[in-house]
Amino acid sequence: MDNRNKEEGQIKKDDPIKRKSTRRSFMKGLSLAAAAGSAGLVTGGCGDSATAEEMGLKWEEYFKTNYRLMTQEEKDETVARLEKLAKLRYDLDVKVSTQEPLERVLYGYAFNISRCKGYMDCVEACVKENNLDRKSKTQYIRLFEMEPGQLDPTSGEGKYFHEVPVDNKFYMGVQCFHCENAPCIKACPTKATWQEPDGIVVVDYDWCIGCRYCLAACPYWGRRFNWGEPEVPREEITKKQHYLGNRMRMKGVMEKCTFCIQRTRDGKLPACAEACPTGSRVFGNLLDPDSEIRFVLENKKVFRFKEELGTDPKFWYFMD
Amino acid sequence: MKILAYGSGLFFLLLGAALLTCPAVMAGQGSVLERIHGAEEPFDSMEIESVQQLTLKTVAAKESYQGGEFRVLARKEFISRFRCSVCHTEKPMLAQDGVLFTHSDIRINHGRAGDALICIECHHEKERDFLVDSQGRKIDFDHSYQLCGKCHFRQKRDWIGGAHGKRETYWAGERVVRNCTSCHNPHSPAFAKKMPETYSLPLDE
Ligand code: SF4
Ligand code: SF4
Repeated sequence: MDNRNKEEGQIKKDDPIKRKSTRRSFMKGLSLAAAAGSAGLVTGGCGDSATAEEMGLKWEEYFKTNYRLMTQEEKDETVARLEKLAKLRYDLDVKVSTQEPLERVLYGYAFNISRCKGYMDCVEACVKENNLDRKSKTQYIRLFEMEPGQLDPTSGEGKYFHEVPVDNKFYMGVQCFHCENAPCIKACPTKATWQEPDGIVVVDYDWCIGCRYCLAACPYWGRRFNWGEPEVPREEITKKQHYLGNRMRMKGVMEKCTFCIQRTRDGKLPACAEACPTGSRVFGNLLDPDSEIRFVLENKKVFRFKEELGTDPKFWYFMD
Repeated sequence: MKILAYGSGLFFLLLGAALLTCPAVMAGQGSVLERIHGAEEPFDSMEIESVQQLTLKTVAAKESYQGGEFRVLARKEFISRFRCSVCHTEKPMLAQDGVLFTHSDIRINHGRAGDALICIECHHEKERDFLVDSQGRKIDFDHSYQLCGKCHFRQKRDWIGGAHGKRETYWAGERVVRNCTSCHNPHSPAFAKKMPETYSLPLDE
């Protein structure tokens, strides 16, 4: 890992062409090192016995550009390849969307700390919806049991193995806050992570070199790194996917909450907000003066975590 | 030397802006709060085509929220023994019998300690298929929020606005929210204790 960091330090000074080839040799090393997925598991990267067709598709995939520079035609092509690869490799009919942001929409989230009961239905729903690696127990959302008055989730308890809620405790969920002024984006040397016009901070998994600068820069522990090849049981795969969302990731790339981009751009609530049985999770369009999220911001006591950092998160905590 | 450095800096700035518009530029309108305050025009989320009609039965709410009319999940369909009047006829029925037989699952844990509510404080004594408020007004089961809100008026205000309760499935499209009794058991409205679904690692791990 030390080597990687050293290599990364040089990349910044290189010209764009050189940078590309560095990224490629790095990725190549990764795919060679990737272990074959065990039976019944779907993994994001290469397996052992690839057919010629599969190799061809992967070859073409390898030379595509950053998502933001793709024409719609190029987007359609890469999506077709990814869907074909899922079919060839796992006999899965996934649908990878490139649905654009909706106009006049800026997503925002509010979390009611006086109502959350610590059930963690949200965490489970997120893991399933977003095809998160089961082996390393990757979670975008973390939930902590907290003492009254305590407002720093780093000292909260996430491993509570008792019935909840416990009297005189409260529960606080933490995930990526989709900062309007996001330090993670500024830290990325390859522009593999950015904010979409609807406010969602995304990662182009095929452009990420796995340097983890963004992870270090995020003050909210919003990012997750794939140290190994992510694994999901085949029958649990969410097949409705988005290029910038829950499509299968590979070993060595960064991922994070995308406000369930594959759902929210279709007008649906994120999986966590839908799964919460207590209504502690409010999601909606900040640019709609009539939305629930705007009602919360205008009528409740709200605060943002570490607001003094100037990251300008689009995630508020509130109390009844 | 200085000019050169400045010039090349500017060049890269322009190149960067042209190739990958930086997020600050894309967001364009300053901080989130500034953008929110600048957005006063109503937003028509009805035009989002991917929003589909819910398969669950809903009814038009007899209230309106800041965005106008909205719908609530119907309730009567989910009450397994509705209609009540099928059993509760003119014939007198002893409360004890009900507790012993048909409604043995009901535990009243609603109201102040030591002063729990009794059936007919919410259920209409004569018109069995309806609820009733303290002024004797009939309330439809599908609109139970009208009754709950009589005591829990703060919650009702938040529910209408969107800070309490839940929207169903979509953030966009016609607003459909759950009824009070979709989530709360009216006989014992506090949420039950249960084991968490999973656990979380510490943030810095
Ligand atoms: S919470 Fe972290 S990962 Fe999310 S946008 Fe902010 S800095 Fe980036
Ligand atoms: S997204 Fe994060 S890990 Fe990936 S290249 Fe950018 S900074 Fe590095």
